[in-house]
Amino acid sequence: MDQRNNKLGWMFASPYLIYSLIFFFVPLLWSLFLSFTNWDLIAPTFNFVGISNFLDALQSPAVHAAFWNTYKFMMIFVPLVTVMAIGVAVVVHGLPRFKGLFLIGFFLPYLSSGVVSALIVKGLLSYTSPVNEFLRGIGMDINWLGSPFSALFVVGLILAWKFTGYYALIITSGLESIDKEVYEAAAIDGVKDSQRFWRITLPLLYPSLYTTLILAFGVTFGIFTEVYQLTGGGPGNATNTWQMEIFKQAFSNMQVGYASAVALLASLATFASIFVIRKILEIWGKRNGWV
Amino acid sequence: MVGSNKRSGARRAVRYSLALALLLVMVYPYLYMVLSSFADWTQIDKKLFPTSFTLKSYEWLFSGGETGVTRPWLNAFMNSIIVSVASTALMMLFGIMVAYALSKLNFFGRKAMNNFVLFHMFFPAIILLVPTFLVIQRVGLYDTYLGLIIPKAVSLWAIFMYTNFFKAVPSVFIEAAKLDGASDLKIMFRIMLPMSKSITTVIFLFLLMERWTELLWDMIAVKSDSMLTLNVLLSQMFGPYGSYPGPLYAASTILTLPIIVMFLIFSKKFQEGMQFSLK
Amino acid sequence: MKKRIPMVLSVALIAGMLSACSTGQSGQNESGSASGEGVTTIEFWAAPNPTQQAYWQEMAKAYEAQNGKVKINVSAIKESPTSEASIQAALAAKSAPTMSENINRGFAAQLSSSKALVPLDTLEGYDDLLKGRSMSKTIEPWKFADGHQYVLPIYSNPMLFGWRLDILKELGYNEPPKTYGEVLELTKKLKDKYGDKKYLWAKPDLADPTAWKRWFDFYMLYDAASNGNKFIEGDTFTGDEKAGIEVLTFVDSLRKEKGLLARQVTDPFENGTGVFTDIGPWTFTTWAEKYPNLKYNETYALTMPPVPDGADPAQSKTFADTKGLVIYASATKAQQQAALDFVKWVYSDAKNDAAWFKQTNLPPARDDLSTNESFKAILDESPQLKPYAENVPNAVPPMDNAKYNDLQTIIGTEAFNKVVKGEIAPAEGWAAMKAALEKALK
Repeated sequence: MDQRNNKLGWMFASPYLIYSLIFFFVPLLWSLFLSFTNWDLIAPTFNFVGISNFLDALQSPAVHAAFWNTYKFMMIFVPLVTVMAIGVAVVVHGLPRFKGLFLIGFFLPYLSSGVVSALIVKGLLSYTSPVNEFLRGIGMDINWLGSPFSALFVVGLILAWKFTGYYALIITSGLESIDKEVYEAAAIDGVKDSQRFWRITLPLLYPSLYTTLILAFGVTFGIFTEVYQLTGGGPGNATNTWQMEIFKQAFSNMQVGYASAVALLASLATFASIFVIRKILEIWGKRNGWV
Repeated sequence: MVGSNKRSGARRAVRYSLALALLLVMVYPYLYMVLSSFADWTQIDKKLFPTSFTLKSYEWLFSGGETGVTRPWLNAFMNSIIVSVASTALMMLFGIMVAYALSKLNFFGRKAMNNFVLFHMFFPAIILLVPTFLVIQRVGLYDTYLGLIIPKAVSLWAIFMYTNFFKAVPSVFIEAAKLDGASDLKIMFRIMLPMSKSITTVIFLFLLMERWTELLWDMIAVKSDSMLTLNVLLSQMFGPYGSYPGPLYAASTILTLPIIVMFLIFSKKFQEGMQFSLK
Repeated sequence: MKKRIPMVLSVALIAGMLSACSTGQSGQNESGSASGEGVTTIEFWAAPNPTQQAYWQEMAKAYEAQNGKVKINVSAIKESPTSEASIQAALAAKSAPTMSENINRGFAAQLSSSKALVPLDTLEGYDDLLKGRSMSKTIEPWKFADGHQYVLPIYSNPMLFGWRLDILKELGYNEPPKTYGEVLELTKKLKDKYGDKKYLWAKPDLADPTAWKRWFDFYMLYDAASNGNKFIEGDTFTGDEKAGIEVLTFVDSLRKEKGLLARQVTDPFENGTGVFTDIGPWTFTTWAEKYPNLKYNETYALTMPPVPDGADPAQSKTFADTKGLVIYASATKAQQQAALDFVKWVYSDAKNDAAWFKQTNLPPARDDLSTNESFKAILDESPQLKPYAENVPNAVPPMDNAKYNDLQTIIGTEAFNKVVKGEIAPAEGWAAMKAALEKALK
């Protein structure tokens, strides 16, 4: 640690330092400050309203919905995308050749814009679309975006479609890293075929799965575009999310103070949830002796 | 022997067709988008595979059809390119610089900064949305390119990825270069960067993709038509042009195709990089 | 290794280029108010509706050709998430335009209460403008509580209901039904024949609580049932309970008969999934291009809203979709005056209003719409516009309460949307809505 390194280190790190000052610390403090005012983006002065923004937010059905919907999306999206990604990974892994080509193909949905996928889904799920005509033909009349569960499901499915290829890539590389000899050795040790997955594949795959799950859980805290474009948070508040609620309050209703309070609550909920989820995954891994 | 060959051949065929079928299902939405953009207007959203084709949707997009008003598609396309390329370039540049410091320069406070980067990366960014808008507005960057680029000029993820990568590069290379009188900048861009080609491809593609499809910030930070990015323009088309799905599919195709082509061009390097970064 | 240097260089170049770009841009903005040669630049925000934008672009060009001292930049208001929010965001960022159109009464009330608008009557030439356009009577009800005029109404458009005449004929009707009972009867016949292939009213907005959507369903029916009751006057709820419950009961009965389809569906009326829907005259431009098979009085008819049984259908009222133009207080004095001069010039010639009517199909807000010769030719050429022109006096404008957005959301969330979905009984919905409205009005 000499003078030269000190100077150079801070110099090279300075873009980040300046950035985090302007786009992290200042906004963070500003947000804290605003959450105690009823500022509307236009008024020249700030009126302090104490903690009433927080009290209002805690009582708001839209905020409750945003809170719970995060976990509902989680319950739909995470299992769905994990199963789909493992499925794709297993299928691709079993191919003798062209693995890379297939993986690239499966990765393509990840490049989609939420605006575009919402448009496509709107078209495919229109009442008069071939999909719905067919479903009605077999006696299934589904109000896709109009009933709470199916609207949640549709958004979850779009996200699962988008992320499957990406996660499959991670899981495939996990599968590739498992040596064939491990299975052979296990067979000699008398591990039955039915136990193979639990006793060998899963433990060795755990690091890849851990990465995938953390990424997938993370996605559910940042849902915006698909919901904004497809349901606007509806029906009722059935697909409302934190981002949607903050955006609506700040930029549609101009309730900047209130939106800041909601954002603060959102951050707390997100932070706590991610912490708990990581702990659970780690404990799960340790319990089973995978890590 | 012959029998088992046949059986394994059959199994192989089954595997390939299964993979192919899965792949078709996954890319079908894209196919639907492209086909619908060329489909006859009477068939849009009525057929899973349109049968009669026309260029009407694209013509409409650039002429405004009966409405006679053209939307700034080309302009928005250019905006998207300018903003995404500049943002991504800056994110990469700063990523490399900061990561070099954090991994190879033993300066005072390095450990704390490393930890802080991690904390910052997992910090829920949503709380920063409104005040970031206010910062941009107060410094007079509302409705400018810089307003779109600067708040997205640093990527914590890029810093994190490069830091981890650079840490794995043996310091011997650097010491040797320093003995030859190479400056740190030279080391950064002439030694470290070329060594990290594959991971650079991965970081570049991910960042570019994210910036290209950004909606929330690009929607908030801009007011005039001439500053819209393609994604935002498309998103707005849902309203007044909602009854023209054909042109919407055409616009979606124009939005999606460049990023896919880009990805396919780099796909080989991308795969190498992914394999590396996942180890 | 050598390849990397050009890349770094190009990164630096791009960054440099961009900062140059943006400074150029902001420089331009600053010179907007008054540049060196005494040219005043006006920012005009047009409605996010292509035909309206096209109209104002033409007008701006024509005016610039006559008046070298003014430059008018016409652009569409951004619609993310709504045009109102875009205007507010621009005001907040101190980059509001000089003037904009597409302003409804409620939003104008909101803007004027935060002192964002110029009282038009304080600008020079305002009286000449009213006289030149012959709109003194039309603008009278737009006066605000402080006695000033902040909005110049551009059009006033009585919303009508369209009926698919071709499908009605299949069911044995020669003209659309006029009362609730008749409509319900038709719904039964329609469902008997078509099952889930056709609905009376197919429209996703019916279940959407977004405030402005109530103008095009609830208000149309309510204005007809209540003989034009104002619903909210000033800060008081004055709703007609009997009429309101009749409307909600009618909607509820339609739902019970499976006559409503409140789902995502592509062009339901045009494709015949629904046979009844609200129609604004702006629709006809789209139809000409996309659905040339839809012909007035052959495949579709236009009527005033149906009325409760026992009421006189000839006395039906409807909602007036009416929007106007405002000038912002944040503009410079020179810009404000130039903006008014531009508007005065546009409206001094009835030909320009005729061009508006022809291009946008929206009836100009004038006293002499049915008498002035300039409009007669258009009505003869496009007979589907006639019922709109005729019903201008039967149309009730929206409320002028600054909280209109919240208030109209309540109509949806407490009563209308719930009834459409069958989640609440009509009378209970009305009571819940009334309670919520009165709470919000305090």
